[in-house]
Amino acid sequence: MYALAMEPLRLSGGAQMRFGGAPVSSPSSMSDHIAAIARSGDRAAFEALFLHFAPRVKAYLMRMGTSPEAAEELAQETLLALWRRAASFDPAKAQASTWIFAIARNLRIDLARRERRALPGEDPTDAPLAPVEPEAELAASEKARRIGQALTDLPTAQAEVVRLAFFSDMPHSEIAGELALPLGTVKSRLRLALGRLRIALEEGR
Amino acid sequence: MNPRHHPTEDILVEHALGRLQPGRDLVVAAHVAACSSCRIKMRETEIVGGALIETLAPETMAADALQRALAAIDRPEPPSPSSPAPPTGWIGFSSPAVERAWRRRRWAAPGVWVAPVVRGPGAMRTYLLSVGAGMSVPRHSHRGAEMITVMTGAYDDRGAVHGPGDFACNDEVVDHKPTVTAERACVCLICADARLIPLDWVGRLFQPIVRI
Repeated sequence: MYALAMEPLRLSGGAQMRFGGAPVSSPSSMSDHIAAIARSGDRAAFEALFLHFAPRVKAYLMRMGTSPEAAEELAQETLLALWRRAASFDPAKAQASTWIFAIARNLRIDLARRERRALPGEDPTDAPLAPVEPEAELAASEKARRIGQALTDLPTAQAEVVRLAFFSDMPHSEIAGELALPLGTVKSRLRLALGRLRIALEEGR
Repeated sequence: MNPRHHPTEDILVEHALGRLQPGRDLVVAAHVAACSSCRIKMRETEIVGGALIETLAPETMAADALQRALAAIDRPEPPSPSSPAPPTGWIGFSSPAVERAWRRRRWAAPGVWVAPVVRGPGAMRTYLLSVGAGMSVPRHSHRGAEMITVMTGAYDDRGAVHGPGDFACNDEVVDHKPTVTAERACVCLICADARLIPLDWVGRLFQPIVRI
């Protein structure tokens, strides 16, 4: 039943982005698992979610500059938060992956804040994090498919900028240096790419 | 009422990706808390982020990772500390750091109080600034950029009125003298890259007192 999530985890090595690859999970099944947790505390559903998402959240966090140990810990916390807040997730209206992304992002910011607090001369911020409730206006599995397709269809130059902007802690100026492009070009390519992805979202509405 | 002055798309995307510097993230979060249209834009970026996470090659988790997770979900959830309510009349943005700063506010001049929220990184500083009804901030410019969200009240900057939840990003080319509207004091949450550059004698007198 959880065959999709039980696929063997691969060592990432160079960890290339696979824009061209088919989505590894069926988004609706992941959302269904969250609904099952909310309904009946379904531990098998949690296992499936954990096996699918925890290794990917760890990969995301490591790309954002988090150490492997801390990334492992935050991946644990992300999935634990998902278990605890499952009741506030509406599978008809949001993607599991959107939720996971927002939770992992918030936990990463929290960790950075805790680490900074330990430094002399820097105050804590405790900024309240962006809400992670699903937004009624957006999402559903059809949209995830369209975004996956739109990512695949991006010109290489734009895909490269999206990859660095989403999955690195480099400021835009450093991304420009890395790609030997003017800063304005980086920003305009990112805007163009997000525009295309957004159109893919609109079409799914 | 939804705010009328918004962050650029670049800023919203960086915020949704969790890439804004500390302090700046707070100022943008305050606007987003008051602005449903920016919340939707952020969510669009999060959907893309989630879809992109699916494309990453998974990292190997520790051998006992699943066992640890299953043990963790069996433990009772610790009570989460309740978020402080924002002061009466402010936009609905709740933040322990802002709340703490507000409690420690100090009058710096007649009609003016400041409350530091976050220091750093580098020369960056984040603070609440309250200026009395009808008063002007002395004419000044900026080193680097400054992000502002109005928490309560309103100010007029070169003909544009910024009310509750409105966002502005001013850079070094801006030479201005914002004036608080007549009705009430205006409190703003501000994150500046560096100290203001006072452009007249009032400002030069004002800055050492207010220390912004």
